[in-house]
Amino acid sequence: MSLAIKSQLSPVETITQKIIRKFVDTRELTLLVLILLIVVVMSYMSPYFLSLANFRAVSVGMTPIAIIVIGMAILLASGGFDLSVGSVMALSSTIVAMLLLEGLSIPAAIAVGLLVGAVAGLVNGLLVTGLGINPLVATLGTMSIARGIALVLTEGFSISSLPTEFAWIGKASFMGIPALVVLTLSLILIFDLAVRHTRFFRQVYFIGANEKAAMLSGINVNRVRIIAYVLTGMLAALAGVLLASRLMSGTPTAGNGLELQVLAAAVIGGSSLRGGEGTILGAFLGVVFVALINNSMTMLAVSIYWQMIVIGMVLVSAVALDMLIRQTRT
Amino acid sequence: MKMTMNRVSEENTGLSAEHASLISLRSVSKSFGHNLVLDGIDFSLKPGEIQALVGENGAGKSTCLGLLYGLHQPSSGQITLNDKPVRINNTADAQSLGISCVFQELSLAGSLSVAENIFVSRAPSRLGIVRWAELRRRAENLLAQFDLSLDVSRSVDSLPVSTQQIVEIAKAISLDARILLLDEPTSALTPDEVKTLFIVLRKLADKGISIVYVSHHLSEVFAISDRITELRDGRSISTCKTSETNQAKLVSEMLGGSHPTQAATSARSATSEILRVENLSSTGKFDNISFSLKRGEILGFAGLLGSRRSDIVRSLAGLGKGLTGHIELNGSNNQFRTIRQAMAAGVGYVPEERKTDGLFLSFPLSANLVASSLGKHSTLGIVNQRSIRDASQSAIDAFKVKAQSTEDTASSLSGGNQQKILLSKWLERDPELLIIEEPTKGVDVGAKFQIHEELHRRASNGMAIIIVSSDFPELLSLCDRILVIHEGILIGEVVAENATEDELLHMAAGLLPAPTILPAQGERL
Repeated sequence: MSLAIKSQLSPVETITQKIIRKFVDTRELTLLVLILLIVVVMSYMSPYFLSLANFRAVSVGMTPIAIIVIGMAILLASGGFDLSVGSVMALSSTIVAMLLLEGLSIPAAIAVGLLVGAVAGLVNGLLVTGLGINPLVATLGTMSIARGIALVLTEGFSISSLPTEFAWIGKASFMGIPALVVLTLSLILIFDLAVRHTRFFRQVYFIGANEKAAMLSGINVNRVRIIAYVLTGMLAALAGVLLASRLMSGTPTAGNGLELQVLAAAVIGGSSLRGGEGTILGAFLGVVFVALINNSMTMLAVSIYWQMIVIGMVLVSAVALDMLIRQTRT
Repeated sequence: MKMTMNRVSEENTGLSAEHASLISLRSVSKSFGHNLVLDGIDFSLKPGEIQALVGENGAGKSTCLGLLYGLHQPSSGQITLNDKPVRINNTADAQSLGISCVFQELSLAGSLSVAENIFVSRAPSRLGIVRWAELRRRAENLLAQFDLSLDVSRSVDSLPVSTQQIVEIAKAISLDARILLLDEPTSALTPDEVKTLFIVLRKLADKGISIVYVSHHLSEVFAISDRITELRDGRSISTCKTSETNQAKLVSEMLGGSHPTQAATSARSATSEILRVENLSSTGKFDNISFSLKRGEILGFAGLLGSRRSDIVRSLAGLGKGLTGHIELNGSNNQFRTIRQAMAAGVGYVPEERKTDGLFLSFPLSANLVASSLGKHSTLGIVNQRSIRDASQSAIDAFKVKAQSTEDTASSLSGGNQQKILLSKWLERDPELLIIEEPTKGVDVGAKFQIHEELHRRASNGMAIIIVSSDFPELLSLCDRILVIHEGILIGEVVAENATEDELLHMAAGLLPAPTILPAQGERL
């Protein structure tokens, strides 16, 4: 009987309605359209926007954030986040640089750099799960510690005159596309698919949606959360290694405030501090969107201070829009 | 009627004429998106009466309350107060009209004191500074109406759930409510506490406060209400005086004419032993619990709130701490330290609180159904979406879950359908031993019947099932044997067929078991 009522009440959606709903529902599509819009508008407004040089500058410039946002989106989906990513990136870049100066081979130095990130992530994960410290407090602490270690090790100076072969990673390109960009895009693709389709990463969403129910469903909540932190730490360290190679120096002050840019991009891309939602592709498009807005404003000679105001407004509007859609639906 | 509001309500209290309604819904319809939830409801509440609203899950009871409390606006039709149309745009409007509501889920801030919880933002203050003594005095006065004397500066967390429920009602009344809406107010209460609550409600009604009482427990409805309005599929079927109808009639009307028969208990034959528990203890919780369970058997745990019956069964699912004693599952000695170990050994556990502990409310049904069996639906770590969809669809069909698709979110379902999803999630794993707490808490008659039937079917296929329930009639009709727990001690075992609700109550309350029951325990052990 209730089936009869329901069918009479829910008329079949027309195809246009369906497309519109899909469009509003899927943050990736919304962002993609906005990004195209920026590209079209900007190509009229500035002759340099569509140039190869600008494309290279923008795409290479956003690689650290794009790599780190992968981990951040996963953490956000699990109901956590990590403020230490910028510091960990700086720490691994300085440690790699120092080891190279000490004469360690490039692969070994990179391995140690990544290990530093893994350890930082492990510490974060253990603080959050084992001791039950709030992620904000725990990662705020490790953020300060990691930055401090980088500054102590270098006494505040950048470390340069690295072996020339190390520059290869940061400077190489495939068919005109910088290797950094190819690597970043591959990581995005791999992790997006993994998060959508692998058993391990699906568990992340359950934990974010209802941690207790996830535990009672037999999900090893602590293990999954720790792994997510370790992964994020390693991605931050990888970003640090790549940065050192591109700049040919290890900079202890690199990535100051990066954590907030990463968080903002992820949230614009559909992640939420509530947990349980968001995709890697969405977060990546969030990064691209923010990078293009910044680039456009630079091209139009808008002051850097105004850029901050605009990005803040974009962040708040994205979340506000999301809330509005939720409210009208219920 | 040309009268001021005050005079109307004064006259009405002394009046019982048919037309004297305080608040009413007149051909009210409500749809959410494409879903028509209420379809021309007529409902009217007289001053000083307790009117029950009954119907299956999804019949529209909660939506009716939501309309009266300003959570939703009618899509068509009218709400009238003292025969004048009113718009109730939000809960503040409702409260200023004298309407208060107590929801099924408690809305108290656990770490704050009772007094603060009652007055929330209306605490008496001078120059913005709370006058604590005055606040406490007012709270005490208010609670005195309920014959409840307690230290109002205690935190709500430290009180038993039943007292919290009364604090919640006190909070609603503190707004000078003339109309009190109660949504399943007894779901967390023991039978004795229900009696206390009913005395309080009757007192309030005698003072002229009108009460809308929503409940699945028909026996309660008959005990407390003056009139009963019955909803089915978003329509009001009938309103009649409680004294002029009976439970059987009501149930058959609610189900639309079809009468459920009692599920058969006796068709199964219990065979080999699957679980043996010896001298299981946990310091400060329970002591020396011993029992055994056979395949195909349904074993009940009865006890009052605080009897630790839940702690006992949870320890079998790997959720206990500091256990001593012996648990033998399938012949091997097993004390699981985590639920994952228990699951690997073939144990399933359905928690009591489906919303907070069981479901992922914002997720689709399909995701909820496979949360415990992702492994079954993936190859080499890659999840197979098609296999999940197919399994979900068949689970939904098999259990007659009222949902439009497997991608509906769990939060969009009614309590009964949510419970079916939660149960299906564990049945999907086909555990050898399934532990279920409160299998039909807050669930309507139809869904309850289906859930019972399914559990019987699984048991006759050899699944061993442990049930914890505060609903004693449910234990009696569902289980083969029932263990009664009082303050952490196993005080007796009864064969469900021969036992009565009264016996269970006596034993659970710690009064000595009737002599007819005692020897039975010796026989079986």
